[in-house]
Amino acid sequence: MSDIFQCGDEGALVAYLYDECEPHERETIAAHLKRCLTCSSDVESLSATRRTLAAWTPPDMALGFQITRPQEVGPAKVLERKVPWWSAPLPAWAQAAAAAVIFAAGLSLGFARTGAPVQAPSRDGEALTSQSRPTTPVVSRDELAQLEQRLKAEMAQIKSAPMTPVATHASSDDAVMQQVKALLEQSEERQRRDFTLRMVELAGNIETQRRVDLASVQSRMGQQQGVIGTELRQQREAIDRVNNYLVTVSERGR
Amino acid sequence: MTSTDEELVARAQGGDIESFNQLIVRWERPIYALAYRVIGREEDARDVCQDAFLRAYRALPGFKGQAKFSSWLYRIALNLCRDWIRRQRRAPVSQMPEDADATELAAETGPVESIEDLVARREMSAIVERAMSALSEEQRTAIILKEYHGMTFQEIADMQGCPLSTVKTRLYQGLSLLRRHLEQEGQLTAELVKRV
Repeated sequence: MSDIFQCGDEGALVAYLYDECEPHERETIAAHLKRCLTCSSDVESLSATRRTLAAWTPPDMALGFQITRPQEVGPAKVLERKVPWWSAPLPAWAQAAAAAVIFAAGLSLGFARTGAPVQAPSRDGEALTSQSRPTTPVVSRDELAQLEQRLKAEMAQIKSAPMTPVATHASSDDAVMQQVKALLEQSEERQRRDFTLRMVELAGNIETQRRVDLASVQSRMGQQQGVIGTELRQQREAIDRVNNYLVTVSERGR
Repeated sequence: MTSTDEELVARAQGGDIESFNQLIVRWERPIYALAYRVIGREEDARDVCQDAFLRAYRALPGFKGQAKFSSWLYRIALNLCRDWIRRQRRAPVSQMPEDADATELAAETGPVESIEDLVARREMSAIVERAMSALSEEQRTAIILKEYHGMTFQEIADMQGCPLSTVKTRLYQGLSLLRRHLEQEGQLTAELVKRV
């Protein structure tokens, strides 16, 4: 800046504003500002503008950048942003452990649902699992042997039994068909009866509702008529009063 | 004892990543603030900030200490901001909400500041941001570097690659334009009245 300050020198005024000028230059400008209203008001308004700028604050943003050196990659460097622990990705060992736990839980749940035996670590655990599993009957070896023998005996009886004639089968089929037809007719009859009963019931309900609505409408109409009648009566009375008044006034006029 | 930037830079140049991370902790807020004020978008400002540190780290072997580390870092960030603006080819967009949500604001209030004060501060910040977005990129950057980062005229001139007189002109004209915008918003009158 030149030693001689010229009025309106923007550079000099800015230097004065930010106090980036030599002391003697500052004194010169300060002296000028005392005399010059234009420059002094200019500097004053620019100072006010600067004070207003202090209000501008950038939003609070989570940063936390960091240079990291991944071991797998070797010498390459990666710039990462720190993230909260709850949103940070788990390390591989933790992911594997979590997967194993979930798998084990699912496996045990699957066993419990299908009734497969679950090894419980304690007596209490055993009690719980036995309650949760469906109970299966315990069959002994002797009972199984008895069942086998009974089945064999029945099979032998079936083999030794005489062949049933075909005609018998045919007659039994007719009987079955007749029974089926009878059952169908009974079913249809029952459905018809139910339908008729429902229709009658519905018609009764509709009739009841219609009567209720009608009564309600009549009641409202009566109320309305009463109101109208009252209003008409009041209007007639008012007209009568006016007529009387007119008659009285006309008589006085005579 | 806190290490100086120069000491941390020297250690980082020797391969000490943690020293560079300390520099990041020290400078990430100012760099983010610079980027946000220049480009006006939160997420993009964060990306620019991250990119600036990454570039600085990569270029660290070539940093000979001719300038302060912070000035060097600011220059990198400013170049990235310029690139961003060129890509966008538009003026910075204010992200300030038109109507502040009282519930959100209530959560932000500190023990001293009332919600009313906070709302007023946010509104004022939005007004200034809108007024700043009306300036040219050069004027806005000069004012930001001067007002919010305390740089000297010479440092700004070096940063912007222009003569000292140009920086002063940009500052004067930028502030004058801001004054007019703020007067239109009715803010500067209040500030002047407050001053009187």
